[in-house]
Amino acid sequence: MSNLSESKYRGYEADRSKYPRMENGKPVIDLESHMYTKLWQGPQHPGVTGNMAVELIVNGDEIVDAKTHMGYLHRAFEKLMERRRYIQCFPLVCRICVPEPDTNEYCVSAAMEDLAGIQVPERALWLRTLNLEMSRIGSYLMWLGGQAGSLGMGAIGQWTIGMRDFWLDLFEEMTGGRVYHMYMIPGGVRKTLPEGFRDRARELIVTTRKLLYDVENTFLSNAIIKSRLQGLGVISPEMVDEYGIVGPNARASGMEHDIRINNPYVKYGELDVKMLTSTVGDAYARAELRYRDLHQSLDLVTEILNRIPQDGPIQADMPNLLNWKIPAGQTYVKAESTRGEHGFYMVSDGSDKPRRVFARGASYTHAISVLEELAVNISISDLAGLMVSLHTCPPEIER
Amino acid sequence: MKLKDVLSPLRVWERAAKKPMTIKDPINDRPGAVNYRGFHKNDFSKCIGCGSCEEICQNDAIDLVPVEGQETVEGDSGLRPMIDYGRCCWCALCVDVCPTGALTMSNEYTWIADNPEDYRFVPGADKTAWQDSEKGYTRSPDIQILDYERVDMQELEPEERDKSFIEIVKGYNKEQAMKEAERCLECGLCIATCPAHMDIPGYIAAIRDDDIDNALRILYETNPMPEICGRICTHKCETVCALHNNGDPLAIRWLKRYIVDQVPADKYSEILGTDHLEDEVLNRKVAIIGAGPAGLSAAYYLAIMGYKTKVYEALPDPGGMVRYGIPEYRLPYDQIDKDIDYIRSLGVEIQFNTRVGTDITLEELHGSYDAVFAGTGLHLGRSTRVPGADNKRVYFATDLLREVTLGNEIDVAENIVVIGGGNVAMDITRTLARLQNLKYGKVQVLATCLEAEDIMPADVEEVVEAREENAVIDPGWGPKEIEIRDGKVYGLHVVKCLSVFDENGRFSPKFDEDQKKFFKADMVVESIGQGMDLSYLSEGIKSDLKFSPRGRIEVDDSFQSSLQWLFVGGDIIQGPDVIHGIANGYIAAKGIDTYLNKK
Amino acid sequence: MEQLVKRINGMIHLKAYNRQRDDLFFITVEKSQLELVLSHLKNNEGFTHLAFLQAVDFLEDSKFQLTYMLYNYDIRVNLGVKVLIARDKAEMTSIHKLWAHAWQYQRELHELFGINFPGSPRVEESFVLEGWEEMPPMRRDFDTKEYSERTFYQRPGRSTNDPKEYMKEKMYKNYAASPRIRRDDE
Repeated sequence: MSNLSESKYRGYEADRSKYPRMENGKPVIDLESHMYTKLWQGPQHPGVTGNMAVELIVNGDEIVDAKTHMGYLHRAFEKLMERRRYIQCFPLVCRICVPEPDTNEYCVSAAMEDLAGIQVPERALWLRTLNLEMSRIGSYLMWLGGQAGSLGMGAIGQWTIGMRDFWLDLFEEMTGGRVYHMYMIPGGVRKTLPEGFRDRARELIVTTRKLLYDVENTFLSNAIIKSRLQGLGVISPEMVDEYGIVGPNARASGMEHDIRINNPYVKYGELDVKMLTSTVGDAYARAELRYRDLHQSLDLVTEILNRIPQDGPIQADMPNLLNWKIPAGQTYVKAESTRGEHGFYMVSDGSDKPRRVFARGASYTHAISVLEELAVNISISDLAGLMVSLHTCPPEIER
Repeated sequence: MKLKDVLSPLRVWERAAKKPMTIKDPINDRPGAVNYRGFHKNDFSKCIGCGSCEEICQNDAIDLVPVEGQETVEGDSGLRPMIDYGRCCWCALCVDVCPTGALTMSNEYTWIADNPEDYRFVPGADKTAWQDSEKGYTRSPDIQILDYERVDMQELEPEERDKSFIEIVKGYNKEQAMKEAERCLECGLCIATCPAHMDIPGYIAAIRDDDIDNALRILYETNPMPEICGRICTHKCETVCALHNNGDPLAIRWLKRYIVDQVPADKYSEILGTDHLEDEVLNRKVAIIGAGPAGLSAAYYLAIMGYKTKVYEALPDPGGMVRYGIPEYRLPYDQIDKDIDYIRSLGVEIQFNTRVGTDITLEELHGSYDAVFAGTGLHLGRSTRVPGADNKRVYFATDLLREVTLGNEIDVAENIVVIGGGNVAMDITRTLARLQNLKYGKVQVLATCLEAEDIMPADVEEVVEAREENAVIDPGWGPKEIEIRDGKVYGLHVVKCLSVFDENGRFSPKFDEDQKKFFKADMVVESIGQGMDLSYLSEGIKSDLKFSPRGRIEVDDSFQSSLQWLFVGGDIIQGPDVIHGIANGYIAAKGIDTYLNKK
Repeated sequence: MEQLVKRINGMIHLKAYNRQRDDLFFITVEKSQLELVLSHLKNNEGFTHLAFLQAVDFLEDSKFQLTYMLYNYDIRVNLGVKVLIARDKAEMTSIHKLWAHAWQYQRELHELFGINFPGSPRVEESFVLEGWEEMPPMRRDFDTKEYSERTFYQRPGRSTNDPKEYMKEKMYKNYAASPRIRRDDE
């Protein structure tokens, strides 16, 4: 960790000056020399939601090379969707990301609607916005627990995961499911808000804020956490485009880009979403930015609850979805998840099944290209913190 | 390092003194939400076994299985969904798609069983703790997976149609037909109900694929009169359509009409593969009595099987009741000709104006043909036999309709009452309304029947359209007497009819004699059913034939009578309607083939 | 956007252009000119963000379509650059020098579609399918159902009924099949 505090800005090429030999830009590691040890972190590791392994070459407790291995969660959703009717894709996509399934639901429905030229009714758009924002809260709470837990603060993990469960209770009331909500059906949403939902949601927002106050005191304003996260995993502004970094990871490095603001979808155009950025670009800046974004989500949920229309249709006039054929075309629909740009690229050939669906997971590059660079030269004990600070989600990488 | 950052984390200890937020015993203290997608329930009184749940399940978790106590009847396959909880993902699309709303979910979410096979169960049949639970996920009325709204059929406005016999229904165009065809679930429940067991989902799928040629081939598999059926079929299929449980049934009849309307007559033989059909392949001959739907259907299938067939028809044009009983505004004559001309083009010969029994005897036919099929229909009117019914200004509907088709002038009165509430009664009412309009410039026709409005046998649209054309329909009255003054009809006395059938479903009308009404009229038309004319059967044949107690000729499954060479079908056996006639003719043709092959 | 298209069309031959939404456009370019177009878009037109690179299998035309989805932060527009390449011996120029994460997509496409990107780092490495021996699974001709039936086993004891067939069996079993047209040679 010693050398990291000095190097606030490292550029986007890992500093490999300590390697014994470089060949074609790659370090030559001789395990026989007893200088290096190969160490596997994962595939089961609390640092990431899901399964992913990092193959490390370490010298003492310092990482000299890292390589990400995927494939533990590959369920071939994209291929499965090619063999299913459009409506049958709907229960599949939420499983692409466990902590935040709704972004997938939104994107796949919106892609179908875009290709088929369907206008979603106003009320359904508001309900979708509420759903997306609530899932952002759930996802951030889970991340917050993970970030603290990866640095040894297990208690915060218990608090926030517990609080997330109360948000899941709300989801259960609203959608009928806790983790996989399966709420945004093509053309609209499946259910209206149940009786008394608004009041319970408002209550929970108050409780959540109380908890966040404690979290702020114990976690963000904590000398140990600061000393471990500050300077860790610095992403320079130049790296952002080169590596396709998106979301809070990019915003913490000064990139002013939030799809909710720049390409507003559902009802975000009518909401007051603020651009939260930081210029430091290290793990602490990212944590703080997510924390602020979480508060913003609570504000947004409050506002949305006040503005959801009480009546009106919740689904557009749809044809028989069992025989639904979408005109040939291609589209790309994206949304801002807690990890950044989450998009669906859908190609229709005019039949009742999609020709190709591609889910662009927000953390696609974060966990591989970026992590492999940032992990070099840090201590093994910091790796988990780094992984969580990039907020990766392996299932959306391998789909 | 700030001092604040060192001290503030110590606040973590504050929480040690706080009451925990968590629930102590979640299994018992916390039931699933009202809307929770828990374990499945199925209400067997609603479920029709259409299999939409199986169709939409992307996990392949649902099988349709027979269940003890569930009969297979029209409109209910008797199959019920069995769900494999090893595969189910609780997405509840099966609940959302269910057209009857039978399949729902409870809010129960814990289930412990020793045997893994227990987790494959039939909700509703296998006893579960949650079958009667009231909470849980149900289909929201605000959304639809299926399309429950029928594409509107364009019709002539009442003002345009009530003075002429131009066809009212305009038919679907391509866009409308495709949209309507898209609504089909392909469950196939309708096939069993259709007397001809037509492959309805098959031809509807062909419409969706815009493959009209294939659709036409499917139609002709079991029905050689699609233009006719596409217009005036009683469409029993639509009454069992799964969509009917939550909305409009599929417009099966109009879709059939759409198919045939697309194909010009001269393309038929090419599409159906009969363009080089050799007749007399088998050198066997079959005589057919009556060029109605049953006779022509038998003739068609015999012809494509290679038999030489000749049809004897008493009237000057083919079609039977279809032509002489159904008014032109419902079924234009050129559409009848389109179907029948195609059948005739296959070598089927029709001898008109030849009444069997008088012009040629049945024995003669037996002598010169290998087999005979009789589809002579119900052409005799039936009388109410109330006092005054024997007046010359009291008519039978069938006779009048025949006269209209033949082009003969009818002495239409200014004020007419029709007795009867079936489709024939509506036909004559609306025909007379048009004739009155042409003659007097106004409509004064009234139809009355025993049945109350909600159980009138006529199609609802017939009643609605008759009213649009200014005819008065006043149901729920039983005829008492036709008052005759000076030998002329003065009007009809009726009394209130309370019920038509007894508790066993037998015809046994009950009246309230105190509630009376009088309909003034100078002409009365009776339309309370038709009878058969079996005068073509000689005494010798009659004595050899077996009759049922109710006076019908007894036939076996292939419509073969007790005289082996004589097959009988159509309205005189089953019906009365076109589609039964067609189905009878079809089966009889196969039966004749089997019989002659054995001989 | 129209002006941009004009500018690009001045540089190279643009095969197709379409507007899907106000913030989503697609252009189709020649395979040989892709690198030129991409670097122009990145360096001169502000399309600095590569959202993804993916392939679509058009089996019936024996073509793969590659889509490079770019984004311009200033005008807030997504631009999909499409290239059609031959399906047999599928090969494409690598763009790993333009974007540091492009190799990742190229590695994925190599594994899942069997498209080769010569020179792309670690392109031969497996991405999600370690030890896979079948054809690249995202190709349309890979039959997932056939594969899973061959590889896994069904839960025993499952059987289903088609309502159509079942009702026929129960209600009108004896209803004769439609007669075939009998011809002279029979």
